[in-house]
Amino acid sequence: MAILEVRDISVSFGGIKPVRGVTFSVEAGSFTSIIGPNGAGKTSLFNLISGVNKIDAGEISFKGQTIHKLHAHEIASRGLVRTFQGAKVIKRLTVAENLMMAVQGNPGDSLWRFFTPRSRSKFEKHARELAMERLDRVGMTKYADDFAGILSGGQRKLLDLSRALMTNPSMILLDEPFAGVNPTLVEKLLEVLASMRKQHEITFLLIEHDLETVMNISERVIVMAEGKIIADGLPNSIYENEQVVDAYLGSRKRGA
Amino acid sequence: MEAFIQPGFWIFVLAMAGIYGVFSLGLQIQYGVAGVMNFGHVGMMAITGYAIAILVIRFQWSFWWAAFVGVALAALGGALLGLSTLRLSGDYFAIASIAFAEITRYWILNSDGITGGAQGTLAIPNPRGFGGYTDEPEVILTWIVDRLTPYLGDNASRDLAVLLVVWPFFFLFLWISARLQKTSWARVLRATREDDDVPRSLGKNVFRFRLQALIIGSVFGGIAGAFWAVQFMLLAPEDFLRIVTFYGWMILILAGATRVKGLAIAAIFFGFLYGATRFVEFWPISLLSAPERSYLRIFLIGVVLIALMVKRPQGLFGKRQEMVLE
Ligand SMILES: Nc1ncnc2c1ncn2[C@@H]1O[C@H](COP(=O)(O)OP(=O)(O)O)[C@@H](O)[C@H]1O
Ligand SMILES: [Mg+2]
Repeated sequence: MAILEVRDISVSFGGIKPVRGVTFSVEAGSFTSIIGPNGAGKTSLFNLISGVNKIDAGEISFKGQTIHKLHAHEIASRGLVRTFQGAKVIKRLTVAENLMMAVQGNPGDSLWRFFTPRSRSKFEKHARELAMERLDRVGMTKYADDFAGILSGGQRKLLDLSRALMTNPSMILLDEPFAGVNPTLVEKLLEVLASMRKQHEITFLLIEHDLETVMNISERVIVMAEGKIIADGLPNSIYENEQVVDAYLGSRKRGA
Repeated sequence: MEAFIQPGFWIFVLAMAGIYGVFSLGLQIQYGVAGVMNFGHVGMMAITGYAIAILVIRFQWSFWWAAFVGVALAALGGALLGLSTLRLSGDYFAIASIAFAEITRYWILNSDGITGGAQGTLAIPNPRGFGGYTDEPEVILTWIVDRLTPYLGDNASRDLAVLLVVWPFFFLFLWISARLQKTSWARVLRATREDDDVPRSLGKNVFRFRLQALIIGSVFGGIAGAFWAVQFMLLAPEDFLRIVTFYGWMILILAGATRVKGLAIAAIFFGFLYGATRFVEFWPISLLSAPERSYLRIFLIGVVLIALMVKRPQGLFGKRQEMVLE
């Protein structure tokens, strides 16, 4: 069953058309990677799916309901969560606070619950425990009460990923989680993803500009160039696709 | 120089510091927590103050009901300001908020039949012929003065009574808002100071959070307006000039925008700075005329603030990391 369906969506900003008639659907529980050169429109596509930008044409539905008219926060609340290219952490919140913010259904988010401090503090305790658990998995418990601004680039990626996972999503969009991360940490991130897949029914859609990195983990690869999907299939089949070789892989192979 | 050593003057300064403290507490929630730069805060004070005066004088409402409705109107003002302009980026909102306060003041100035116009609340059409709007709170203030006179003599002034009423409220509000700032509601807002996309991507309706912060801040602005109305017993449009908003901001900057507890001390510090500079009369400053000196005073306060910003960007009580990280 398809959890996400994207039908012929386009967007333009001024004269630029980053996404031009993209159609695809994603099976629940699957792991799909989107690859493509810089400027191909991958991040723009994520911005459209997650509601950060609105589509000009087409339709997006999630779990059978159209979502392209919803606000970004409403889409996230429905279980479709994303991370941002370059890992956005809130620098002036602590590492634990960054995570605690992601726990859904916090009564303390409602002003009226100011008057029921007990239910609030109970939930806070629960959220803190979840955060510590999550930090433990990525080996970052010792940073729990430091401002996230002191973290290194790689640690920020871990935090960003952990935070998105904390929302308990049905589907998660990851925008280049491995870019600029050292190989050991890439291993660790892949491990986290793999274990998340095993334990929960999470659907993954991941952007990466390097095919090799996602070869093993992906069940399917979508290739984008100039705002369009130019290939879509099993990871191995991508290598054999002539259009892809020309537009993208070819230049690298020739260079090598 | 004589007034400088008179306790009466400093009691007045402290009473005003309490009122300004409540006022800047509103800004603290808006800016310190939510990152919303409201430069029209004085508008909320004007709305509540004038609502009280009009409802009591013209419609013979009880002061207490008038104060309640006046504060509710300030909240409504905050809601309208927010609904119409809070979706703008921060800079545009700041400008729109100035416009909001100025429009409020111009309306007051030009609606003689309702507000008394340039002549102030004394000129509000009064069916009873004559009278202010503070009769009911006056009973309480007089009671306090009567209790204290045996001990303090002439120093048991109305200003002292106002001081003794305002400060407990100020502390109560500080306590409430310190608690508010420990909630996850405030945590989301602190996140939005840096970035909207992250909280949104986690399912937070950033606009709702901001609007709520703006409204709560406006309530404190309104309450300060009610205290102000009681303290001065009459109001005029020039009480609500832009500069009043900036006094509130000065206190906030002194305290450190993110530190609610510093606000009381910063308010006193500001009051004394403001009060004391009034007495800078020695040569060569004594060569200046009185209006020139009052500008000099604002200038001096500005210099102190700038020096403080250079030395301690986090304010007197803030955490440095929260201000200067990266
Ligand atoms: N909000 C926007 N406004 C204007 N141009 C944009 C916007 N978002 C993306 N673009 C443009 O769309 C093109 C595709 O960018 P992007 O989606 O970031 O590519 P990728 O993630 O594949 O590297 C780029 O030329 C970029 O400048
Ligand atoms: Mg990108």
